[in-house]
Amino acid sequence: MAAESRVDVTGKPAAAPPTPADEPDGWRRLRPATPWAIGAIAVLAVIALQTQLYSGQVRTVSTVLMFIALAQSWNILGGFTGYASFGQVAFFGLGGYSTAVLMAKAGLSYWMALPLSAVIAAAFAAVIGLPLLRLRGHYFAIATLGVAEGLREIVINVPRLTGGGAGISIPVVGKHASTAYLGNDTFYIVFLVVAAATTVLVGVLSRSRLGYGLRAIRQDEAAAAAAGIDTTRAKVTALVLSAFCTGLVGSVYAFQQVTIYPERLFDVQITLLMVMMVVIGGSGTVLGPIIGATALQALSEYLRANFTEVHTFILGAIIIAAVIILPQGAVFFIRDAWRTRRLPLLDNVRTYRL
Amino acid sequence: MNAFLQSTVYGLLQGGLLALVAVGFSLVWGVMNVINLAHGAFVVVGAYVAWQLNEWLGLDPFIAMFGSMAFLFVTGYLVQRLLVNLVVNAPVFITLLLTFGLDLLLTNGLIMIYSGNYRAINTSYALKSLALGGVRVPVGRLLGCLLAVACSLLLVSLMKRTRTGLAIAATGMDRGAARLMGIRARHIYALTFGIAAALAGLAGAMLATVGTFSPADASKYTLFSFVIAVLGGLGNMYGALAGGLLLGLVESWAGQYLSGTLVNAVAFGLLVLVLVARPAGLLGRPFYESRLEV
Repeated sequence: MAAESRVDVTGKPAAAPPTPADEPDGWRRLRPATPWAIGAIAVLAVIALQTQLYSGQVRTVSTVLMFIALAQSWNILGGFTGYASFGQVAFFGLGGYSTAVLMAKAGLSYWMALPLSAVIAAAFAAVIGLPLLRLRGHYFAIATLGVAEGLREIVINVPRLTGGGAGISIPVVGKHASTAYLGNDTFYIVFLVVAAATTVLVGVLSRSRLGYGLRAIRQDEAAAAAAGIDTTRAKVTALVLSAFCTGLVGSVYAFQQVTIYPERLFDVQITLLMVMMVVIGGSGTVLGPIIGATALQALSEYLRANFTEVHTFILGAIIIAAVIILPQGAVFFIRDAWRTRRLPLLDNVRTYRL
Repeated sequence: MNAFLQSTVYGLLQGGLLALVAVGFSLVWGVMNVINLAHGAFVVVGAYVAWQLNEWLGLDPFIAMFGSMAFLFVTGYLVQRLLVNLVVNAPVFITLLLTFGLDLLLTNGLIMIYSGNYRAINTSYALKSLALGGVRVPVGRLLGCLLAVACSLLLVSLMKRTRTGLAIAATGMDRGAARLMGIRARHIYALTFGIAAALAGLAGAMLATVGTFSPADASKYTLFSFVIAVLGGLGNMYGALAGGLLLGLVESWAGQYLSGTLVNAVAFGLLVLVLVARPAGLLGRPFYESRLEV
């Protein structure tokens, strides 16, 4: 089986990169800055977009931004390192519940609770990281799933702290409110900031020593260790970063929802959506999760609005088709199509089929 | 003491059924390295087929279960042959996501046809119980559990004795070498998936006889299969049986002595502990743990 499995992870055929000599001198110097400039323009565009939306749409776009941040967080561990965490929602739920408990029981202001929640999620990741990251592949996926499900059950079973299955409400009006409710427009900006921040983090990471180390681990962990990468440390760092970002998003989500329930905050569907978005977009890239999250969330909203009865059914069919046609992700698909000047629609099937 | 005995018996009976739910899942995982997230949906489809046959023809569920098995065998064979085989060499999460899409499709298809209401197959005998020295044994569960154990044992002997069974095991160990020996891997994979789906259908028919079911239960059974396959370990055909009985016992004892839904927390805690301490599972062979992802 090993002999057959030596397929390049991204499945991309070798193609000649554009030679630097073709480019004018000034353009070459500007080139590293281009992604940042495009990113800044995109952020401004999203801010400008807000003025054109009515309140229901503001909420929809906020959700898209939230999923961009979540997909980027999953990308740090699942995309770069190749460790598919199927319990990522544990950090989301932990971040959300930390915020709710800190605000409702300890009376902290939101701007105190937000970073604290992310730190709590990151600390939890550091604790579970050492034993769990010894596992690989499916076993890691299942162990993380077990952690998420277990955490949900624990949250349900300490009702004095978390309100149990009935949920917990953050006081947002009146005397007990430590921070007044922010309103849809402010949440839009907060989600935008979080999405942009995680994207910048992933962008910096992808060019950093740690990022290259993580990619090496994905390709061959033993070889990476032999090349002098402290694999345990790199993996735990990736998990902690990923958990920190996810916890941050969970915290904003909890405050936006005001009342949160364990079933919603630890919903395994949220994890699966993150994985789906990263894989469809292109795992281990900066742009991929943004494309995946936007496309999938927009599609889901469209189907929900137009085919309410059967929208999950259609979504299932689309997921199957997307996974068969685009297993390496949209970013790599487009890149290959651009380089080879043809649409490699069935190439993946030829590569991966039995 | 009596309460302990009662919960032990109940746990073993429940564990036998859970083992039947998981045995196909474990087989597919061990042979093809595919995690079938639609396995729970197969179980529920099996329950609906048996229920439908019972409604239309008044068939006893112990006869209708053959209908469930046949229907799911064909479905499983076609799904593997036409869909999963297309991506079987792709990285780990691709097959996970494909079967997740399949799970959405099946579960929502069932909701569209049958609505999300809970249903059950009513029989005159399933809910009666025998009294054995102060311990009550529900007849339906006893029959279901015996059938589950018999099926697991039958599967083990088929895998060990028949040429097809050996071909499945060989393909699981080294697909390249198996193909060189003239084994048609595409067919064998599809056959394995079909057998797994048929066993899920059988489990579904049994579960529909001893309790209620609805499309929403699908994810629960997938999760149980996960836990049991990991507890028992891969590569040993008795693994699922042992894992199922263990999970049944733990859940039943925890239900007896702990409050409310902490039962599930105990099950998942056990799962994580076993994974960290002995990643190959309690009865599994280390080979399956060290195997690289396909």
